[in-house]
Amino acid sequence: MQKLEDLTPEEMAVTNHRDSTKPNTMIVKFRARDYTAEAKAHFLPRIPTDLHPFSSTSSLSTKVDGVDEEENGPLDPLRAPSGRIVVPSKDNKGSLDAFKSDISDSNSVELLRREWTTFKRFLVQKFPPSRTVAISSIADLVIGSQKAYEKSSSVHLDELDDSQGSVDEDVKFITEHEYTARLTEMKNEILCAWAAGNHFKSLKLSVKVARLLRDTALLQFYPTLFTLATDILDMLGDMVWERIKRKVEYLEDGAKIRELREDFQVSDICSDAKDICHNWFCKIGSIRDLLPRIYLELAILPCWRFLVDDSADVIQRLIAMMRGLGNPLASAYCHLYLVYCVQKLPLHDNGYLVTCIRDINLMMTPIISLKETTDNRNNMSNQVLVHLMEPPMEYIIKCIFKDHQQGCTIRVGLGLARNLSELFGKCSSVSLVLHHLLKELPPEIVRSNVLHILDLIECSIGSSFDQCMNFRLLGFRLYETEAPMEMVNVVLERVIKDASQYQDLDAYLKVVDGYVDIVLQNHMKTQLEVLLGGIAERACSKWINDIELDSLQSVLTKILSHTKCLEDVLELVHLLLALHNLFAEIIDVMRGTAKNAINMRILEMATRNGYIRCPTTIQFLLEVGQSLHDGKSSSNMLDSDNQPLDRLLSRFVDMVEYGTEWERHLAFLIECRATFASADEVKETLVHHANCLVMKASKASKQLVSFGRSCLAFSEATIPSIAAPIKQLHLYLETAEVALASGLVCHSDGLIESAIRTLQSLIAEDSPTLLDVDRIVCVIQKLCGLLIMVPGNSMLGVTYIPKNLLSLVNNHSLVMPARLSVRTSCANILLLAAWSQHKLPYTPGGIKEMQVPGNDLLFFDDSSYHEELASFCGRILQNVVLAIKQETCPNARGNLALEACNCIASVIKVDDNISRICNELVEMATPCLNTNHSYFFSTSKFLVNQFRTCNNKLSLA
Amino acid sequence: MSVEIKLSRSNRMFRPDELLEGKIITKLTSSISHYGIRLTVNGSVNLQVRGGSAGVIESVVGVLKPITIGKKSVEIRPSGKISSGITEIPFSLTLKQPGESKSEKFYETFHGADISIQYLLTVDVVRGYLHKSLSATLEFIIESEKAELHELPVSPELVLFYITQDTQKHPLLSELKSGGFRVSGRIPTQCSLSCALRGELTVEASALPIQSIDIHLLRVESILVGDRIVSETSLVQTTQIADGDVCRGLTLPIYVLLPRLLTCATVLAGSFSIEFKVSVVISFQSELSKLQPKSDPRTPRLWLAMETLPLELVRTR
Repeated sequence: MQKLEDLTPEEMAVTNHRDSTKPNTMIVKFRARDYTAEAKAHFLPRIPTDLHPFSSTSSLSTKVDGVDEEENGPLDPLRAPSGRIVVPSKDNKGSLDAFKSDISDSNSVELLRREWTTFKRFLVQKFPPSRTVAISSIADLVIGSQKAYEKSSSVHLDELDDSQGSVDEDVKFITEHEYTARLTEMKNEILCAWAAGNHFKSLKLSVKVARLLRDTALLQFYPTLFTLATDILDMLGDMVWERIKRKVEYLEDGAKIRELREDFQVSDICSDAKDICHNWFCKIGSIRDLLPRIYLELAILPCWRFLVDDSADVIQRLIAMMRGLGNPLASAYCHLYLVYCVQKLPLHDNGYLVTCIRDINLMMTPIISLKETTDNRNNMSNQVLVHLMEPPMEYIIKCIFKDHQQGCTIRVGLGLARNLSELFGKCSSVSLVLHHLLKELPPEIVRSNVLHILDLIECSIGSSFDQCMNFRLLGFRLYETEAPMEMVNVVLERVIKDASQYQDLDAYLKVVDGYVDIVLQNHMKTQLEVLLGGIAERACSKWINDIELDSLQSVLTKILSHTKCLEDVLELVHLLLALHNLFAEIIDVMRGTAKNAINMRILEMATRNGYIRCPTTIQFLLEVGQSLHDGKSSSNMLDSDNQPLDRLLSRFVDMVEYGTEWERHLAFLIECRATFASADEVKETLVHHANCLVMKASKASKQLVSFGRSCLAFSEATIPSIAAPIKQLHLYLETAEVALASGLVCHSDGLIESAIRTLQSLIAEDSPTLLDVDRIVCVIQKLCGLLIMVPGNSMLGVTYIPKNLLSLVNNHSLVMPARLSVRTSCANILLLAAWSQHKLPYTPGGIKEMQVPGNDLLFFDDSSYHEELASFCGRILQNVVLAIKQETCPNARGNLALEACNCIASVIKVDDNISRICNELVEMATPCLNTNHSYFFSTSKFLVNQFRTCNNKLSLA
Repeated sequence: MSVEIKLSRSNRMFRPDELLEGKIITKLTSSISHYGIRLTVNGSVNLQVRGGSAGVIESVVGVLKPITIGKKSVEIRPSGKISSGITEIPFSLTLKQPGESKSEKFYETFHGADISIQYLLTVDVVRGYLHKSLSATLEFIIESEKAELHELPVSPELVLFYITQDTQKHPLLSELKSGGFRVSGRIPTQCSLSCALRGELTVEASALPIQSIDIHLLRVESILVGDRIVSETSLVQTTQIADGDVCRGLTLPIYVLLPRLLTCATVLAGSFSIEFKVSVVISFQSELSKLQPKSDPRTPRLWLAMETLPLELVRTR
């Protein structure tokens, strides 16, 4: 505390009045500050370096090497890739091969069983049965009153036959659950009979089960029935095998005499076992009905090994017998079971697989060529039938190509292709078979036989949906195999010719989908145009359904995604231009999310790789953006959902580059504003760009001042249309700064005025709880920072704006949090302090000649100016203490007090009055904060320091 | 207390020039004494004429006197005792003396409808008047002896056959008559009993869809009664080779396994003969066929077409 005697007269006058309650103006002296010196003092020392710390050749990396190899932690992306990533060593690969060769037969049988189980599960899932199942009375006889089954008289062989035969075909309905339950019951009965030694009964029941597979009226349930029935048959087959094996290995009394090897020969088998085996085959051979007979023989097929060494004849015979099955569905699944059972035999040639495919093919031909048959098959939808026959075919074709040596596969594949064409002549291969075959053929075969395959596809019978799928598949396969250009050209020519005959958009799209990758990869622009033209032709005249829309989206996405690297950008632009019309047409007919997705993709692609300069492209993209924007605004979506779109559009605006065509750019911005009327984020970007234009233009030439004005006018007009007030404020300030830099003072004044008006309405209208006080404080501080540069208006008074600001804030001080008022006051104090300096801390920038002079130049040596500043500051000081007292929360109050104290002490000379105020503030803070609080501590230290400095100066003065 | 015979071969098949070997197994609760254990081999051809076939006079119907092939009785144990528990007594018999005249021809075992050729082996444990004698009978199977066997391969010629609407002697459905059909195939006329009957069949054309194609194996048993020969044709076995409407032009295999006891080599003896036929029957889909329950396939129906061919069965090595 300064002694009274030491005060100067002026100061005395002040102190005399210090206790009066009337707010009297205090004489405030601002500290003089040398900003340049201060900046130099705070300058961080910088040391030049040669190596970039992130570069890979830095010496740091070598040090880290040792650590890298030891720890297996996650890869540090900032570290140089010096340590080697551990790859699976060659040893592992070798051991894998060794393991493969070690797999014995039993393992492969296990594998086969597991694959079969998986396949059966897949069948059941693919064709989930409906609630009720229609069964014919054959099945009913078996499934129904089981106990009352009468044996026919006379010869014992008839017991295996169905006495009623297939005459009666009335249809009954039971639930699928009942059917399954009944089959499970029968399975148990078979097991019990076998365990009791009654083998014949087990066989009889199994025959009944097999007979159920004749009934294909079930349709959807048939695959499930197949899985259940074959399950039972497999079980019987295993039991018979075990029985005969036991006969070989054990004596009557149970003593084991030998162990049968995995690869035993017929000569190892004793005659008793052979007899039993032979008996089984004879018993099965005496079954009258063809289907059960085949199925039963397949079930015990492995037992042929006890009788013959080479079972090729048996397999051929069984396949030939299957030709006698007239029902295509039953036949297809019977083939499937044959393929499964033959794989259980150790050595077998794969020729039978080809025969199977051929036979199934034959069966399908009459179904697909829409001939009517006169049995009750014409009630079934043929497509359902074909659909049901697909899984067996797939399985068989997969078997052809699985685990084969390369040469063998090629041979078989070629053979198959040739066989198909030989067998069916030019024009009757079944497209479905071809489809699956094409899926599995190894790529070399596809490549070497591509023309032949094309022939087959073209001539394949069946509804055209299959043909287009086959074309599509061929396209994919060619793309995979990286076919040479000549081949691609030839193929495309033919495909385009064929596809041009499709009227249906869906079919055409499927074909295009298959070839678009290969076309893009080989940069075949004309073909692409033709294809797109085809789409446009078919799409533009009708309503596109959802499936077609999806296909269209996928095709266009592929085209758009084609550009991967920077070099392709130009190409994409050219492509877009060339296809612009087509694109526009196609996109026009799309709708909904697909259209939006494509448009967004286009925008993403276009903005990804750098500036967009070409006017046509810009125009095109603007239209795209417009359609997106309109689409979004028409649907009632929450604002948050529009964010990605708005960001994308903003980015688009960012990426547009006009070079030195300022006017053009401004026109573009104006157009954008009109187009994206409701996208606030875009409008912000537009304002930023407009401001940027002003800066660029003014840097380029002094004559562009009027242009600058138009840009500013644009910004001024745009900002009010943005919804968020805080954003508006920031933009106002930014624009004002730009205006100042260009020397357009009236604009900056107008902008600042608008900002204050907005602030006013913001504070006045919103309730204090909703208001984001801190952000407003931030804006105010920023405004004050800006005002430093703004030349004062001598008519209104230099402090006109700060006064406005303060009164605005203080008018609502009762409802607003105290910090609003306090911090505004502090900001203003700092502002006034800065204005009082000889040289302003900073200038607006821009070109020096265009700059507006700041207050330091305007009011140089104007004492009334300084007086005004000082008196206003004094008034603020008085209000500050009161304002702080308004704060209810002690902690906050304490902080605010210290803040104010610091602010005052740093810019105002701490004389007695000031120190009194500061001490008051510190005292206010004391009860609120812990005296050990660092802020408190540092503040008081600072205060003492400032006081001392000031006093020293005073004493020196 | 029981006695049973167990032959050395589980399939009980022997040739006449082989030894009939086996063992007699007695299961006794207490030891018994007997006057001898006797084995008897009894082979006979049993003939009967059933009524119902056309042209058979009432007086002829009935069981005729069986023709004895061979009867032989051998005592394998003289009178003595058998202890309690399980006792096995092996035996070995010759069925046919080498060098014996061929008057007693050993026909193959056959179970037919009218004719049955059986060989029975009976064991008797004679026990005197007060006790019930233990006995058991077992049928065993005789196959032709090696010397008489044909050499493989049996005549490989296959006979071509055609079945069309014109080859049928019975009336057919009008659609069949007008639309026509043609089924061709090949079938052997001579077949070995150890192999299956193999042939092929192709449906070349058909106006109506096919319901089923079956191969019927038939036996023709003829018996000389007085001066008249009474023949009976009956069904041995049916094998379906096509189920449903098969593809046209596709060759289906005929593969029929011959049942063992129900077939034997074709026999043409003086007083009886056993012959075989094979019949290919095609049944077409029609409403009429659904109305009729399955009947004797040899009866011609409007929706059936058939072709019957003779078949000689021979035993080969």
